[in-house]
Amino acid sequence: MPEENPPLRPLIPGITAQFPQDVTVLPRRKDMLAVLKVTPARVAEVAKYLRDVGSFEHCALVSGVDWVDHLEVLYHLWSDSLKGYIELTVDLPSEDPHVPSVTEIWRGANWHERETWDMLGVRFDGHPDLRRVLMPEGYQFHPLRKSFELHEPEELEVKARHV
Amino acid sequence: MSDSETSGTSKIITHVREADAPEPEVPFAEIEIVQSKEFIPVVKENLTGMIQRGMEAAVKPVFNWAGRNSLFPLHWGLACCAIEFAAGFGARWDGERFGVVPRSSPRQCDLLIVNGTVTWKLSHKLITLWEQMPEPKWAIAMGNCATGGGPFRTAYSVVPGVDKLVPIDVYIAGCPPRPEAMLDGILRLERLIRERRG
Repeated sequence: MPEENPPLRPLIPGITAQFPQDVTVLPRRKDMLAVLKVTPARVAEVAKYLRDVGSFEHCALVSGVDWVDHLEVLYHLWSDSLKGYIELTVDLPSEDPHVPSVTEIWRGANWHERETWDMLGVRFDGHPDLRRVLMPEGYQFHPLRKSFELHEPEELEVKARHV
Repeated sequence: MSDSETSGTSKIITHVREADAPEPEVPFAEIEIVQSKEFIPVVKENLTGMIQRGMEAAVKPVFNWAGRNSLFPLHWGLACCAIEFAAGFGARWDGERFGVVPRSSPRQCDLLIVNGTVTWKLSHKLITLWEQMPEPKWAIAMGNCATGGGPFRTAYSVVPGVDKLVPIDVYIAGCPPRPEAMLDGILRLERLIRERRG
């Protein structure tokens, strides 16, 4: 909460004033300066605000969680001047999840978003090259979804061939 | 000389000289061919066939012996088995005393040792390397991962056994196998080659 974080005191009211409908301040978690819940449509703008005004210049992590009834995309942002992380969470529907890409804001988010797409099937709109990272091209599934079932090796039909 | 040798009888007839033509300055061997144009090609064919078959029978064991005693594995490592692979060619176990020298290019190799976990992402590269190796070639699956997927057998990203991708001659068990197990696998492969192609 802002009261517990003197370095964030000007920032959190500023961002809630800037995006009153889209940003909710959640209770703090361990090792986080603050946790903000953002609506999917305004993620890129909130992230740009945090980078330019809030000095969170390093995007440490883009990842996701499958909560079965919905998906959650996480952004961990690091500030060198504040010496701490801030966390953005975005709730998405399980069916056809879309979220704006932050690759234009932090170049390092490129492969993080590709991995999140590969493992959880979250589409990042505006990503320059949204391909799979860990699984080969042509793979049909998003294996970190809870609905994904492991196949038995004996039943596996190998279609690998020279490309 | 070479013209009349390689082509058939019709070519040889052109060398018969005219009655009033001056005697040509030709080598002795060519006159021999012209005079015995029906006999020589048959003998030549039989002779070359005999030499070829004899050479094959004589040379094949030599090639087999040379090939099986100088297996060149591809120098690539995938997982912890690669550490044992490297130790097997270090000073302590010294795989080079069996003529086994790891090479860095698949064009120079005749043995593929798959030492580690192969993921589906890597499978295309594995097949490419296998196809780049010249014949005759052999493959060894080293360790449990390459043999059957190992502890990652049911994982979504791991090939459950590389024999689904390339034909494997020798399987080495172990997680990871010790260097002497790897050398034993190579020696078993040498025995296989001797029995199969001897």
